[in-house]
Amino acid sequence: MSGMKYDALVVGGGIGGMESALKLGDMGYKVLLVEKDSSVGGKMILLSKVFPTLDCASCISTPKMGATVHHPNITVLTYSEVESIRRDGAGGFHVQIRRKARFVDEEACTGCRQCEMVCNVAVPDEFNAGLVSRRAAYIPFPQAVPKKAVLERAGTSPCTAACPAGIKAHGYIALVRSGQYEKAFELVCEATPLVGSLGRACYAPCEAECTRGGLEGPVSIRRLKRFIADTHYAKGRGPVDVPPSNGKKVAIVGSGPAGLTAAWHLARKGYEVTIFEAASQPGGMLRLALPPYRLPNEVVDEDVANVTEIGVKIVTDRRVDDLEALRAEGYDAVLLAIGTHQATKLRVPGEDLAGVMRAADFLKAAKLGEELDVAEKRVVVIGGGNVAVDVARTALRHGASAVQVVSLESYEHMPAHPQEIAEAEAEGVTFRDSCGVAWFEGDDAVRGVELMRCVSVYDDKGRFSPQYAEGTVGSLPCDAVVVAAGMRPDSGAFGLPVNASGTVQVDKATLQTSLPHVFAAGDVVLGPSMITSAAGQGRRAAFMIDRWLQGEELDPEAFDGPLPTVDKNAVLARQVTHSELRPHDARENVALAPGEFYEDEETMTEEEALYSASRCLDCGVCSECRECVAICPADCIDLQMKGSEVEAEVGAVILATGFTLFAADAKPQYGFGCYKNVITGMQMDRLLAPTRPYNAVLRPGDGKIPGSIAYVLCTGSRDETVGNPLCSKICCMYSIKQNQLIMGALPLADVTVYYMDIRSVGKGYDEFYEQAKAMGATFVRGRISEITEKEDGNLIVAYEDIDNGGGMAQAEHDLVVLAVGVQPGGDVGRMFPEGGPSLDKYFYVGEADEDLDPGRTDMPGVFVAGAAAGAKDIPDSILHAGAAVAQAAAYLEKAGVTI
Amino acid sequence: MSSVNRDVREIIRDEHLMRRRILAALEAGPLTIPEIADAVGRPTHEVMFWVMGMRKYGHVTEIKEADDDGFYLYQAVKKEGA
Repeated sequence: MSGMKYDALVVGGGIGGMESALKLGDMGYKVLLVEKDSSVGGKMILLSKVFPTLDCASCISTPKMGATVHHPNITVLTYSEVESIRRDGAGGFHVQIRRKARFVDEEACTGCRQCEMVCNVAVPDEFNAGLVSRRAAYIPFPQAVPKKAVLERAGTSPCTAACPAGIKAHGYIALVRSGQYEKAFELVCEATPLVGSLGRACYAPCEAECTRGGLEGPVSIRRLKRFIADTHYAKGRGPVDVPPSNGKKVAIVGSGPAGLTAAWHLARKGYEVTIFEAASQPGGMLRLALPPYRLPNEVVDEDVANVTEIGVKIVTDRRVDDLEALRAEGYDAVLLAIGTHQATKLRVPGEDLAGVMRAADFLKAAKLGEELDVAEKRVVVIGGGNVAVDVARTALRHGASAVQVVSLESYEHMPAHPQEIAEAEAEGVTFRDSCGVAWFEGDDAVRGVELMRCVSVYDDKGRFSPQYAEGTVGSLPCDAVVVAAGMRPDSGAFGLPVNASGTVQVDKATLQTSLPHVFAAGDVVLGPSMITSAAGQGRRAAFMIDRWLQGEELDPEAFDGPLPTVDKNAVLARQVTHSELRPHDARENVALAPGEFYEDEETMTEEEALYSASRCLDCGVCSECRECVAICPADCIDLQMKGSEVEAEVGAVILATGFTLFAADAKPQYGFGCYKNVITGMQMDRLLAPTRPYNAVLRPGDGKIPGSIAYVLCTGSRDETVGNPLCSKICCMYSIKQNQLIMGALPLADVTVYYMDIRSVGKGYDEFYEQAKAMGATFVRGRISEITEKEDGNLIVAYEDIDNGGGMAQAEHDLVVLAVGVQPGGDVGRMFPEGGPSLDKYFYVGEADEDLDPGRTDMPGVFVAGAAAGAKDIPDSILHAGAAVAQAAAYLEKAGVTI
Repeated sequence: MSSVNRDVREIIRDEHLMRRRILAALEAGPLTIPEIADAVGRPTHEVMFWVMGMRKYGHVTEIKEADDDGFYLYQAVKKEGA
């Protein structure tokens, strides 16, 4: 839409803006109207009725809204913001507009609200003045024009952004919160089938980024995943739909997290996938390295079955070295996902003594239930990573009399996860930090480890290069040693270019190797990494293999494309207060005796899971649970949608940015936001509107029909203490309007209005006031000094009773309505980076001469319509818009800048 | 009525969590807001947010007439096939 030309730009789609656009359009001018919300209508469409005629606000607004949007001379951009307005040097203006992403195809959306009905995120409904919820997917109000859904997305939630596997963590938390555990399981499966394994053994980078971590502690995201996996698997397996074959075959070498995840995605696209696994059972490190107390084989079996049940074949005991042979077998593409199974040697004397074992062999034997010769023995573990800690804890469980971990790094800098270290210590493992091995002692079998002091582990460039102090620091007597000093891929046989660490060289974005049909993913590319990182590589590899086999460009941009991560401080700032919700304490099953192989934590109960999920702050607002995507009959939800920038040339500008309502909590003596039955005039208007948030006029505090309602006029207007000395013009009259409507809706209710003086200037206004009095409304002259709340929610209003001697008096009411005033709206200054029209001393858009030249600002070509220039009721706003239109038309004709 | 005020955003966030509990409370028959609050052990003003949100999205509806104390009764909406 770059380069659009219009006679006039109207900023704001309220009554002033719509009237301006319609009048200019009717005159034949081409108009661009920009509205920041997703519908035109402004505040008027939210009102119950208008004064003094008591016409239905919706009934008289909606024709104008429809006429504006469908007018042949008016282009309306909703959900868009004017970024800048600059003079173009030819008498007109250059305008930049940001079209915010709706994440909904506006053309295709039918306004059916099904996305809204299934959305799992509830937020305050600003269109109902915060009295009720709306959803992250929403249509703002029933008469919205255009009636198109919007997804509110503040960005990617930090937990989701942190997951290397691309799991929508926020999404499955939201699904758990609403009790949809099966859908939560399916959502995780959109990224990886390893739900059970990750639910137990993931190091949860999501939790490290959880915004709640800045409060009492992060949401227990991993344990929620375990809960949904265990809930799903406990039901047993049912029939599944096997995707129809697309006729192409893919071979995957290795059945670890990367291989299984890639197979899952490719099979779901119809590829015939065969995994070749060198070991006797599938699962890679999940099966062979992770101790059973962290990840039982039964869980690995379930995760693997997710893959095999959709048709993936797994051939075990088949080591692949010859890629050409696979090609000859008819495979169209190959994925190498062999992991890192080759142990790094220490290259010190005695390494080949009996009793010196490799960590991978040790853990594999333990996982396969083979005998480990460590019972009643003193075991030393060499290494400071998670594998070393796994070995140490496993040795204890197999009866070792003592286990000591020796690490090059200092205790504080050990690469093992702090939680793992803490649990190992709780079980009795001891740590000897900043030490390296000089040699292993012993004749035939190891008897001890001679240590030397490690003074640094990495060189200046961060490369692994341990340096030691002179001499040794003594010997650790032992009966067995397990070396966990690193792993590397066994990749030499493939003939592909490899790095010094043995990892296969690939294009990092596409994971393609030097052979176009061969891709690589997981630890064979990354080196030893987390399960979730390997799974993420598997997902990416599957995406790229699919594109390659379909003859499409391997475009990294096409893979994912998340929004920027939401700012955690902005998330926390959405709330004034945060309740303290402590994280559920997890680990309880520390092994205290040999032979205790049960899992070291239990799955959450349903109540614990719901509590944990309820701690989520909905950082990104939309959780990306994809329920809207699944249900939309028009297939119009697009979570990848991006906002866009639009430029336009216009001859004149009309600012119709309206007003904002006074924030009632700025008068704390009235108790708004503290007392549940103190509401604002706009909230009462919503309660009285046909599209009201409640079924009747009720107290927000308890749902009771109020029998006595008080109005407090001039809340935030004519009040120097809040910096607003101006009369807001509309508060008296909208209060009187509401008085009449309440007495119609609640015939038994008493209405009392506390006022300084009633300003009912306008045709029929004073008669309207007299009518309210005649209907029974009581008007009490006097300022309110304070409102207090009783135990039952009733409110005690203390006021100066001017008509009865001026003394202080009190009255009790069920409900208090604060008739809040108006303040300047819109950020007009921001729109004109090179200088714009002057503001008046109250910060409304200034008019050159309010009496003789209404609607014209002091900036040629820029005009102001409606309440942007000062408080106005609806008829005055429309009149003022007419004046602004006349000024703009005269300017366009005189300046000759029409298109 | 007098209870510690939680932030409105936090209360509303709990709507999905509380929906099942409120519907469970309504299984025995229609209830007023204070009765639902008693049943789920939460303050009445928080229950108002949840019940009115549930009403907006078709999970509960009111019985036409209010009771003598000025409270409406709310009942679960029977879903198709339920």
